[in-house]
Amino acid sequence: MAERYDVIIVGAGPAGLSAAIYAARARLKTLVLDESVPGGQMKTTHKVSNYPGFPEDVKGADLAKAFSMQAERFGAKVRRAIEITAHDLTGPLKTFELDEEEHVEAPAVIVATGAKPRELGVPGESKYRGRGISYCATCDGAYFDGKEIHVIGGGNSAVEESLFLTQFAKKVTIVHQFDHFQAEPVSAAEALAHPKIEVIWNSEPRAFLGENQLEKLRIEDVKTKEVRELATDGVFVFVGYVPRTDLVKGLVKMNEWGYVETGEDMSTNVPGVYVAGDIRSKRFRQITTAVADGTIAALAVQKFVKDQQRVAA
Amino acid sequence: MSEYVKEITQADFEAEVAKSSLPVILDFFSTECPPCEALAPKFDAVAEQFAGKARFLKIFRQGNKDLASRLGVTGSPTLLFFKGGAEQGERMSGEEIKRTAIKAQIESLLGA
Repeated sequence: MAERYDVIIVGAGPAGLSAAIYAARARLKTLVLDESVPGGQMKTTHKVSNYPGFPEDVKGADLAKAFSMQAERFGAKVRRAIEITAHDLTGPLKTFELDEEEHVEAPAVIVATGAKPRELGVPGESKYRGRGISYCATCDGAYFDGKEIHVIGGGNSAVEESLFLTQFAKKVTIVHQFDHFQAEPVSAAEALAHPKIEVIWNSEPRAFLGENQLEKLRIEDVKTKEVRELATDGVFVFVGYVPRTDLVKGLVKMNEWGYVETGEDMSTNVPGVYVAGDIRSKRFRQITTAVADGTIAALAVQKFVKDQQRVAA
Repeated sequence: MSEYVKEITQADFEAEVAKSSLPVILDFFSTECPPCEALAPKFDAVAEQFAGKARFLKIFRQGNKDLASRLGVTGSPTLLFFKGGAEQGERMSGEEIKRTAIKAQIESLLGA
């Protein structure tokens, strides 16, 4: 027998948890599912400086915990480390099988599965993942105590995580495809002035090389076409994100980059299926914009669920 | 931590992993590592399911740097699979480790 909810939210990042706060406060029976622990990308961000309400920097992991506790305080059930092993979002009741054993259902679902770090798609990348290549500085930074490492990318994540990595590494070399950072000027200036950070501009990675473990990074200067190999103890990759759309692929309308198209109320073309946060087609992806999406989705779902109940009555 | 999972140190590696008669799944974890927190309940659940057929061990990376570096482990969490003392199959690493994927790899380890 499936347990019935008013709304099931998939993904416990800032969008999903904000939706949960609003849904639970509206007295909707609310379930949040996450395959990890709550927080989404926020939980592995070492510090957040631009989330309003915090005059000092706050650790992403602490902010994640606060979001989750707030949602739970109003009665939302937040389930961690759950794998969705089957699902059907097409009908009037959306159904999920969890960990091959449990079943839950609801008339409305908010998909807030966000985005995951983009892989470079360069030879050797999957071979050396966890053997020198990493996508999470807070998780793996300490492995590189006193080592010389490289960071690929030049956006906010690349630059801010490089600064974080200087706590451990002897030297951090950023390899960036353009001749300037895309990161916010404050962090970019801090990185450029940092004694442990060096930057190789106009260059892209071409291969990861080594025996059992990553030893060298091959890069190409995109202007001069010069190719060279750099000895490295480890490489951190921060080159943007790709949407996590497994749950709704083939079901909802997406744009050419795979992000989900929504109305202003976060509804998709499938009745009862809403999306919020980084998975959505939009111009800017920040914690604050994810929070706004989640809020709107939950308010729209409240109305949708009430209308459904009225029709059924 | 579940009763089906045992924490070891690098000093135990020879006895607990290399000489184990059962297949061993070894989890390198760190503190301040949300993906490690996320893996823990999945690892516990799979350990319970395969109790008696395979051994589930975890090792704290920060306290066992030499073994991590000898095995070339540079990320947490990382799962390594051993049979007859030799490492077998693909390592699993990072946040995207699924419970069903761990199960599938153990089943193939037991079947082979």
